[in-house]
Amino acid sequence: MKSTQYSDKVLDHFRNPRNVGTLEGQDVAVGRVGNPVCGDLMEIYIKVRDNVIEEIKFKTFGCGSAIATASMITELARGKTIDEALQISRKEVADELDGLPPVKMHCSNLAADALHNAIENYLSREKSAQKSLEKRRRLTKRIKGEKEFLHRGVYHELVDLSTLKGKRVLVLDRGATSIEVAIDLTGQTARVIFLTGSKEISAGPELKKSLKQSDVKILYESEILEIKGTNDVEKVLIHDLNEDEEYELFVDSIIMLQKRE
Amino acid sequence: MSLYFDYQSSNPVDPRVIDAMIPYFNRKFGNPSSLHKEGDEATEILDRCRKSIAGFINAEKDEIVFTSGATESNNLSLIGFAFRNRARGNHIIISETEHISIHNIAKYLEKYRFRITKTPVDQYGRISIRKLEDRVDEETILVSVAYANNEIGTIQPISTIGTLCREKNIAFHSDAVAAEGLIPLDVKRDEVDLLTLSSNDIYGPKGVGVLYVRKGVRLNPLLIGGGQEHGLRSGTENIPGIVGMQKAVEIMQQEGEREVKRLTGYRNKLIKHVLEKIPKCYLNGHPTERLANNAHFRFDGIEGESLLLSLKDKGISVSTGSACSSKTLEPSHTLIALGLLHEEAHGSLEFTFGRFNKDEEVDRVLEVLSGVVARLRELSPLYR
Repeated sequence: MKSTQYSDKVLDHFRNPRNVGTLEGQDVAVGRVGNPVCGDLMEIYIKVRDNVIEEIKFKTFGCGSAIATASMITELARGKTIDEALQISRKEVADELDGLPPVKMHCSNLAADALHNAIENYLSREKSAQKSLEKRRRLTKRIKGEKEFLHRGVYHELVDLSTLKGKRVLVLDRGATSIEVAIDLTGQTARVIFLTGSKEISAGPELKKSLKQSDVKILYESEILEIKGTNDVEKVLIHDLNEDEEYELFVDSIIMLQKRE
Repeated sequence: MSLYFDYQSSNPVDPRVIDAMIPYFNRKFGNPSSLHKEGDEATEILDRCRKSIAGFINAEKDEIVFTSGATESNNLSLIGFAFRNRARGNHIIISETEHISIHNIAKYLEKYRFRITKTPVDQYGRISIRKLEDRVDEETILVSVAYANNEIGTIQPISTIGTLCREKNIAFHSDAVAAEGLIPLDVKRDEVDLLTLSSNDIYGPKGVGVLYVRKGVRLNPLLIGGGQEHGLRSGTENIPGIVGMQKAVEIMQQEGEREVKRLTGYRNKLIKHVLEKIPKCYLNGHPTERLANNAHFRFDGIEGESLLLSLKDKGISVSTGSACSSKTLEPSHTLIALGLLHEEAHGSLEFTFGRFNKDEEVDRVLEVLSGVVARLRELSPLYR
């Protein structure tokens, strides 16, 4: 069976998704799950009153079945008590959609996980804050290969940006100067990535705005574990702190300014 | 019928090719190995086709080996060469962006203790000669780099690679399937030793391909039998298929130049429209060194399979490098080699134009694409 051989019901929910959007307010909780390997990311927003899910919305980045399962679960969960909603399984979502292609069962069937995550967050809101503190601690670690590739793609100080023309440049978050460097670099090359360990960019509102409007690709909650190459930098191993996953990224240069303002 | 923009996946056979093939299914059915009249006829036509196809890539007649297609040609080339020349060394270099068949053949060879090194590409998909040279050692016997990439359409500096390999006495294989018919192929100018061609990619029938083997290059056969194709590929020759491929080559030689101009027009029109009209989208591959028929984009915040499905609903057939539409659920290795993140590779969409596309079909894409992208971005938590 092809990965895109979908039932009519899946296609209907893909074409006309129900309850798209976000919710705001004191009594709203968000569940966010994603699997970067498969490329799905899902957010479920619930508003709970008297233990009942009164309103529910979703946003999804993903393939046809990711969108359809999210849409379906909003229909299934609305009006249910929290306990009932926790009983909704991945299988039930797939069954309600008249099945999913086997290859999509595990990875694009995240809607139940997202809903359960939203409910968990509703029940204990401190949990996620604690989790990110734990992860943050890893950031001080040494980067393997940093010394070996110094001046062979790794730069500790500001260099003449024109020498990086056409290169894929990774700029590590070292405060305002590093953000300015990243923005300036977009004049030299189409590929600039800004990597930060935090969830948000910490900078003045002006600088933050110009970074977000620029063509700089921002990687949040990430750290470099290792730099690799034959004679000079060719790729880096990145640790996604949020997902706790590692992956390789092809780059040519890395700017890691030493002084932090 | 839908509007078809996936010519890198499969091509319709040109009606003129079908007409040329038909007599060879029943009226002229001889086996070239037979000594009677029917056999002589078959030998003669096989010979003529071989000569004609050799001319297409500036090779000699005896350097053409007919196979069942590009996958077999790649297998015969890499596996056949590696095992035959093992005494000289066990190291093979391929590029990070080779077709999946080359990657999987390389994996197979690794099991037999060949050493495989992959050479990287820049953000546009071009390999660096210096980085390739860095990887060469005394054990290196073979380099395999495609003329042009089948997904992103980036054209490689083939003659520079050819010269380097010739100087260092390393054999050079190039998979020319994506490039054939779109850029002139010349195995002498480009100093190529082994070259893969496919019939279907130039509107010939499926199930036919060619491996060009330069005189003096030694291979082990993969198929053993009656010793056809200079002993390199046994099995009774597929005469109807070979006649079809020859006809496809002939048409390409006559009309290719004009066709490339027309396809370049479609490509440029689409690229210009998309980059100007749709925010936060990017061209994958090289801005100028790219195949005339290829436009490959990525769109921030949306996933390729849902894009593909939405276009399918509008009667438009395209391709994506997204993992969600693949069997393995891995994103395209070519897009990752460009330095793209997984989420970016997932948001990619590939258009490949071809002989039977019409102006109004391209206009239809321009009409619907931005609406489709906008709808999916409304659903997306990544696009705000």
